[in-house]
Amino acid sequence: MSTDPASGPARTRCCRSCWYVAGPLLVLVVLWAYIRFTRDRPVAFANDEDHFKYGSTGGERDAGIPYWVWRALPELFPEFLPDGKKGYASLGFIFDPSRPTDKDLPVGVSKRNVQGVDRVFLNCAACHVGTVRDAPTSIPRIITGMPANTVDLQAFERFLFNCATSEKFTPERLSYEMKALGTTDDFINRALLRYVALSLAQQRLIFLRDRFKFMDREPDTGPGRVDTFNPPKVLLNFRMDLLPEREWVGNCDLPSIWNQGKRQGMWLHWDGNNNSVEERNRSAAYGTGAIPPTIDRPSVKRMERWIHDAKPPAYPYAIDKALAARGEPVYREYCASCHGRSGEDFSGEYVGQVTLIDKIGTDRHRLDSYTEELCANQNQLYAAYPDERFSHFRKTNGYANQPLDGIWLRAPYLHNGSVPNLRDLLEPTSKRPAVFYRGYDVYDARNVGFLTDVAEENGKKYFRFDTSLSGNGNQGHEGKAFGTELPADEKEALIEYLKTF
Amino acid sequence: MKISPRCWRCLIVIAVLIVMAGLFGWYKFFRVEPQPAFANEEERFKYGSIGAENTRGLPYWIWVVLPRIFPEYVPGPGGYKAFGLVWEEGKEIPAGFSKQTIGFPRIANNCAICHTGTWRASPSDKAHVVAAAPSHTTDVQGMIRFLAKCAADPRFNGETITAQIKREVDLSFIDSLLYRYVLVPFTKNALLDQQKQFAWMNRPHWPDWGRGRDDPMNLTKYFMTSMPTDNSTGQADFPSVWNLKIRKGPGLYLNWSCDTPAVRSVLIDSALGLGAAPDPNTPFDRLIWKFQRHDWFLKRMEDLDNFLSEHPAPKYPFPIDANLSAQGQPIYAQQCASCHEVGGKYTNKPVSLAEIGTDRERVDTWTQGAADEANRRVKEFNIDRPNMVKIECYQSPPLDGIWMRAPYLHNGSVPTLRDLLEPVASRPAVFYRGYDVYDPVNVGFVTSGAEASRIGWKHDTTIRGNGNQGHTYGSNLQSQEKNALLEYLKTL
Repeated sequence: MSTDPASGPARTRCCRSCWYVAGPLLVLVVLWAYIRFTRDRPVAFANDEDHFKYGSTGGERDAGIPYWVWRALPELFPEFLPDGKKGYASLGFIFDPSRPTDKDLPVGVSKRNVQGVDRVFLNCAACHVGTVRDAPTSIPRIITGMPANTVDLQAFERFLFNCATSEKFTPERLSYEMKALGTTDDFINRALLRYVALSLAQQRLIFLRDRFKFMDREPDTGPGRVDTFNPPKVLLNFRMDLLPEREWVGNCDLPSIWNQGKRQGMWLHWDGNNNSVEERNRSAAYGTGAIPPTIDRPSVKRMERWIHDAKPPAYPYAIDKALAARGEPVYREYCASCHGRSGEDFSGEYVGQVTLIDKIGTDRHRLDSYTEELCANQNQLYAAYPDERFSHFRKTNGYANQPLDGIWLRAPYLHNGSVPNLRDLLEPTSKRPAVFYRGYDVYDARNVGFLTDVAEENGKKYFRFDTSLSGNGNQGHEGKAFGTELPADEKEALIEYLKTF
Repeated sequence: MKISPRCWRCLIVIAVLIVMAGLFGWYKFFRVEPQPAFANEEERFKYGSIGAENTRGLPYWIWVVLPRIFPEYVPGPGGYKAFGLVWEEGKEIPAGFSKQTIGFPRIANNCAICHTGTWRASPSDKAHVVAAAPSHTTDVQGMIRFLAKCAADPRFNGETITAQIKREVDLSFIDSLLYRYVLVPFTKNALLDQQKQFAWMNRPHWPDWGRGRDDPMNLTKYFMTSMPTDNSTGQADFPSVWNLKIRKGPGLYLNWSCDTPAVRSVLIDSALGLGAAPDPNTPFDRLIWKFQRHDWFLKRMEDLDNFLSEHPAPKYPFPIDANLSAQGQPIYAQQCASCHEVGGKYTNKPVSLAEIGTDRERVDTWTQGAADEANRRVKEFNIDRPNMVKIECYQSPPLDGIWMRAPYLHNGSVPTLRDLLEPVASRPAVFYRGYDVYDPVNVGFVTSGAEASRIGWKHDTTIRGNGNQGHTYGSNLQSQEKNALLEYLKTL
């Protein structure tokens, strides 16, 4: 090989100086790219309750919607919302003016920067924070740990599915919309969204829409309810077309999640199919997008600590103490053995145990939607993490007796939310309302529950709950043992006493 | 020849690299981690290894995700449970499966896949699990076909399967490469090979095994002896394997047609057939077998023998009318005991086809040639056990726990004991098997109705090998005598 003796060293010198500049630059670029694309940083909250309401379960890592896309969707697709002008609030999502950061995100939506992109998704609070108004003109009290009585998750899912299958869901239009909103994403994120992420998100939503088609053959859940155990069948990719009809409708009320420490060891979920609080939590976390490899363990642990001791707020309206005192012995006689001695003392022979369906007599759809087949398959969830593997699920044949802490905030009643208030619950089925409205948060202190005769207020329509539909039956929990045959004055006293829980 | 120092250095580096690669390969593919201890022998029977993970073990995570990727090949909603497997609450895997890490987590079957069953008192009752009972709900053939269909599907590829696995496991970078480029393709090929070995059972219009049955002697013939495919089909019920001590003794035989003269031989041959045998085509595996697995395997078979010999038959769980059963006892003694009572003249012994008159297909699946070849192969594995034989007959088993052994006859062609006491013409020609709700009136499982037909497999007695003829003993009894006899049989 021959080289030019004159130009050789000169070229080497030139190359060398090039490398002196390019080398460190390259290192910096690689380092920057590494830091950026391995970034995984949730928004942090100093206060535990705020962490519960707004903190991340890790679900954004896999299921997160890019923040600016979340913002743009209601702008681009107002026609898919009950009230396009009101955005996500029209789905019942709660906007809390006291949220420390991201005030434009509702309660129950957390934010996390993953790979340099801010992403959002639901957390536990989406289903377990609700509101109460004293009167139509009052400011709503936001109460952490109560059922999300106003949130219509199913309508939210359908909103996303409709967006993704609309011809308007194109990178160009969404990018335009995000720009109009003043996106703070940098050039790289904007390019990634436009050329990669949006079509992936669309595919993912269409995939979910197809899997969740089973929803269309059951009555709408309406606000404050969810089908708990058909979605896991879908995530395990069960053949829903071969599902026996009795399993189709799993609609049930969202529960309160206070005092979980005292519930450890009780049979949890409406049908009492699991007795481990932590496992139940991991199971619920699937609903927030958190799967075994992506769940944020320290963050979820912090939420668990909060719900371990969280207490419901005291009943804020007047209580007739004398009347309540007369209700206490009635409660002791009729309710305590299944529902605990009080709102704080959960002791009782049958508390946390399952009452057989033949005895409780309530609508059996929710019970039947959980099956041995699902239970078997759940046993493999988290199997790569031996301490966390699901092993406490079981198939039962009834509904579990729950403690009644904060019962005033847990209306409507029964597992499927088919009885508007406590007064109705103490009546036999024939006297319970056959049709009422859900999702309205003005309180009905006389009957203990929310007002359920309001179909519409200021243009907002509430959900018409028809007890004749599949899974919505309001029968059961009735007869002498359940207090529906008590004399009127004793019912009055019992209701007054229950306000103290 | 003189090697330069530079060359030496090269050689050393290469040698070190080879050793490191070897260690890596050993760690990732062959490192054996013992299974966690089992609470008792029954648990070990249901979930413990019989050594099949080595050559027949599927990568656990691939196995886990297959029903989630290919639900269209599963017979109903419920993943593997839809194949009628016995899956106890809280257990990671169904009974009859064993999970062990050999390099990577693997899953294989053990005896309980065919020998653990369930019953329920009513549709809302929980399944009661009975170890060593026939797995009358399990569709083994369905599972084999499921795996083959998955393997043949273009979505059985490294990318799709590894992506699904990563939704369950936080795979390291190296492990995800290993799954994607080694384990998934390797498993696909192995399953496709296996599919070829099962071609005989997938011939057009060939009788299906259905739930709770297999074709045991053809399986033995085609796998243990690699004999050419013939025209025989011998679908047979999974038997109970409890209380084996009463099956032992000189002149006593096991298997439906007295194919084996000793309990230990049945255990060994069945376990070898399930995948415990060394791979004859892989010298490396034969080496591991010789130095590592052989002794372990024989000890395992001894333990199994001890456990199953003493494991009792389950007691009948419903009320028994003591008076009625007392009336049935002498009828049993007169009509049944000589063939079915322990120590009876014909119990555990051959009964000629002419005498018994049941469907003969099962007998015709086995030959002396197959027996000789099987014996020779087992000897090659350096295992000494009483030899298999060929007798033209059906074996007459004792009736311990007979209530849990429905449907009846070797091919499960008669749903209940009551039907068995009827003349052939009065036995059901078509029924559904594999539903585990019990029918105490007729003594057997429920075999008709909406749920039985949704869950169960349709047994058509007109199909070859499924005939319900023969064994008409007792069909002439008076109705009251039959009731008494049935009541007595519940006590066994």
